[in-house]
Amino acid sequence: MAEPTSGAPGGRAPRTRPAKPSRPTAPPPLQARDKLAFLLSLVPWLMDRDGATVDEAAAHFGVTPDAIREAVELIAVSGIPGDHAAYQHGDLFDIDWEAFEEHGRIVLTNLVAIDDSPRFSAREAAALIAGLQYLSALPENADRAAIASLMAKLSRGSSGAPAPVAVAEQSTDATLAVIREAVERGLQVELGYLNSRGEYERRRVDPLRVESLDVDWYLRGWCHLRQAVRTFRLDRISDPVITDQPIEHRLGEVGLPERLFEPSDEDLEVELELAPAAVPLLADYLPGLPATASGAPVRTTVRVSHYHGLKRLVGANPGMLEVLGPPEARAAVHDWATAALARYDGHADGAAADPLG
Amino acid sequence: MAAKVPVEERLFSLVLALLATDAGLTKNEILSTVQGYRGRYSAGGDNSALERQFERDKDDIRELGVPLETVEAPGESGNNQLLRYRIPRGAYELPTDVRFSPDETALLALAARVWREGSLSGESRRAMMKLRSLGVVADEPVLGYAPQVRLRDPAFEPLQTAIARGLTVRFDYLKPGESAARERQVIPLALVQYQGRWHLSAEELAGGAHKTFLLRRVVGPITTGKPAPARPGDHAAEALAGLEEIWARGVAQVEVDPGSDAATRLRQRRGTELAGESAKRLSLRLHYVDLAILADELAGFGPEVLVVAPVELRAAVVERLRRTEAAHG
Repeated sequence: MAEPTSGAPGGRAPRTRPAKPSRPTAPPPLQARDKLAFLLSLVPWLMDRDGATVDEAAAHFGVTPDAIREAVELIAVSGIPGDHAAYQHGDLFDIDWEAFEEHGRIVLTNLVAIDDSPRFSAREAAALIAGLQYLSALPENADRAAIASLMAKLSRGSSGAPAPVAVAEQSTDATLAVIREAVERGLQVELGYLNSRGEYERRRVDPLRVESLDVDWYLRGWCHLRQAVRTFRLDRISDPVITDQPIEHRLGEVGLPERLFEPSDEDLEVELELAPAAVPLLADYLPGLPATASGAPVRTTVRVSHYHGLKRLVGANPGMLEVLGPPEARAAVHDWATAALARYDGHADGAAADPLG
Repeated sequence: MAAKVPVEERLFSLVLALLATDAGLTKNEILSTVQGYRGRYSAGGDNSALERQFERDKDDIRELGVPLETVEAPGESGNNQLLRYRIPRGAYELPTDVRFSPDETALLALAARVWREGSLSGESRRAMMKLRSLGVVADEPVLGYAPQVRLRDPAFEPLQTAIARGLTVRFDYLKPGESAARERQVIPLALVQYQGRWHLSAEELAGGAHKTFLLRRVVGPITTGKPAPARPGDHAAEALAGLEEIWARGVAQVEVDPGSDAATRLRQRRGTELAGESAKRLSLRLHYVDLAILADELAGFGPEVLVVAPVELRAAVVERLRRTEAAHG
């Protein structure tokens, strides 16, 4: 099973199944709206460089050559109704068909209606502005003045006022700074890691990516000890040191799974019941859950190697997540809570214990 | 004419036709002449299905940031048949002074990749497509390091849309300690992320009080209502400043076992101070915004942590532990 939000099994992101071969980042299929945005973007780009090849256009826009060909073929027969509402020849875009079909070159020979690139929508501008906000909120990151001027430019280039979205400045985090430098320089990092069983280990990791979910930061990387992709909570890492060894596994080679934690083939099976509201929040930690749910409680079965992470996850989600079985798993959760309550014996209802120090 | 025209071809033809007209086209002219509609247009017949199609297409196009506007015929206001549609070139095209250097483009590419999933990621993708149309090549981002954010609040997108459109909203909100969600009607002002969590800053319709809502506690759908009165001001900055103030004021004292998961992680929290230390216990002072969230988190640490103060936090953690114990007894 997976690593809970709060408390968790150590660097023990469950074993991923045999590391998947790298998936070249295939562009997602486009919806009609995306396709329209694409057409409106492609035309001015082509106007500015007559004779671009299909492959150049594909590389520039990050789509497949087929998507470019399909778009060019559509553009070539599109236009305006014109004076006689008949879409006559001069009212349509045209291309040099021979150059296109024989040499894969795109030469526009007649232009219609479009002169320049479209504005951003308010939401598009807002998404980029929020992303910039996030970047500028990171400690020691980027040039704040440059970011502010970029945000102003995006607002000017938007067709409507972007909704105000802001991200609070992040505090400086020493671990994050070290990990970040290691990712940037492509160097292995050695770190101390405390797992949820309370075991401390030094690990050597090829750091690949830093991600955050809610308040929590994660390092995803190749663990040399486990010989597998692992997810590490940043706040469980101690004394990270950048080595002089270049990383051995690259992002494109190991293929990071989409979710933080993938199903594992551990031996213990646990049956859980979740409140629907908890499903999107826990989807990352409990592989196999749908991304969202509504209505009835959701039941799912996960595999774990031990119950240490489970009791923490359940404890941090009171009333939202219940272990149905097996009895040993229920007992582990129960006893964890009982042991905690024992510390409050006698003054559970608020009489303050003597503070230390 | 082929009966079936792909959606993108119809939308593209509509944009071209409306960009090319200064005076604008009436709905009838559009339906009878523009590619994608004209093949299904029946002169003098019933075109209601086609008209509904046109209404949806208009929304789609506007969502992309294309300023499709309507012009009323002089002296004929209110007559929908005479309403003209057009896309004014100046409002459609990116202003000529909005151009981006390779460095800026690289930074924007990095910003677009921050959003790992959800609506912000789709919007970012479309924005980058438009940016690429300007021709600037963004090489690998200037920083090889791109943090990625997972956004899991379904309320985010509809609230963002409502704010951009200036509409009031209604939603059910479950406050900790209350057994049922209660409906709120507000003017949404800004969305802010504070310590990893998204909040909505809003003005309540009844009474006009300013409130900050945690998006995670919004239950069910966001319903938009009437247009909201304008509320000028930097609401995002105000909301963040307000949260920061609450965080600075909120102090909890806990004891943790040295070497435990609780000790490791709580000591790395922003603002944590070590208030006392012995071989068996560490005393920590933690800052927090929301007592219920902190209580959830502390309950997950089980016996590794003991809450000393405030009493409300102690009680909240004990209540959570009892609930977990009872559910698994």
